[in-house]
Amino acid sequence: MLPITIGCLVALVSAVWLVLARRPVHGAVGLLGHSLALAGLYLLLGAELVAMGQVLIYSGAIVVLFLFVVALMPAGGAEDAPDIGRIGTAAVGGGAILLALAFAVGAVTPTASDATAGGVVDVARSLFGSLIVPFELTAPLLLVAIVGAVAIWRRQEQA
Amino acid sequence: MTPEMLVLGTSALLFATGTGGVLLRRNPIAMLMSVEVMLNAGNLLLVLAARVRGAVDAQAAALIVLVLAAAEAVVGLGLALALFRNRERADADEPREVRG
Repeated sequence: MLPITIGCLVALVSAVWLVLARRPVHGAVGLLGHSLALAGLYLLLGAELVAMGQVLIYSGAIVVLFLFVVALMPAGGAEDAPDIGRIGTAAVGGGAILLALAFAVGAVTPTASDATAGGVVDVARSLFGSLIVPFELTAPLLLVAIVGAVAIWRRQEQA
Repeated sequence: MTPEMLVLGTSALLFATGTGGVLLRRNPIAMLMSVEVMLNAGNLLLVLAARVRGAVDAQAAALIVLVLAAAEAVVGLGLALALFRNRERADADEPREVRG
């Protein structure tokens, strides 16, 4: 119970820090802590493969990508303080989503099942069995993302 | 309070935090980071569902969402960089037109 509480707290605090950090570099550090805390939570929930993917893809690739872009942005991507209207919009929007989710969460009482499926073999059987179509579709998705990013950049270079 | 309930509440709070971040920030990088927080909240829920229901399919779906998040970050950051590299400040409200 205690490790899960600590993981949840770290994930929440780093997410709030990420949202409120004025400088994007601090936000990227928050994203790093957030993704590592979530990887720990995945481990505690018995999802070792997802935890490993989280560390490799989020803590490794995505955070480094964000840091690269921050380095290339004008003035390090620093921004003005949000005005009162923006703060109000964010509070109302976030509050409304939270209220809707609270109703959904209040309606269920999850308990851990006895079935202890979740090893790497089971996940692989699912990926290459019932989820084969979405799994194979990630390949063209990644290809399109790479080609799209290069195309955006090339067009901007020529302009 | 069971650990499952705690994780469920954390997931809801994380999603609300990400929504607030997207609405609050005007820097495109910070907005994309907030979207990543929302995707992570969804992933946490998927992994929790895999444990609660004993259905390993949800874990596989979480892996696919991870790949989706990576692709989204690449395209989003590429767009943000192309739009804002030659501007004085990174402000998502500022561009009035996008040359196509």
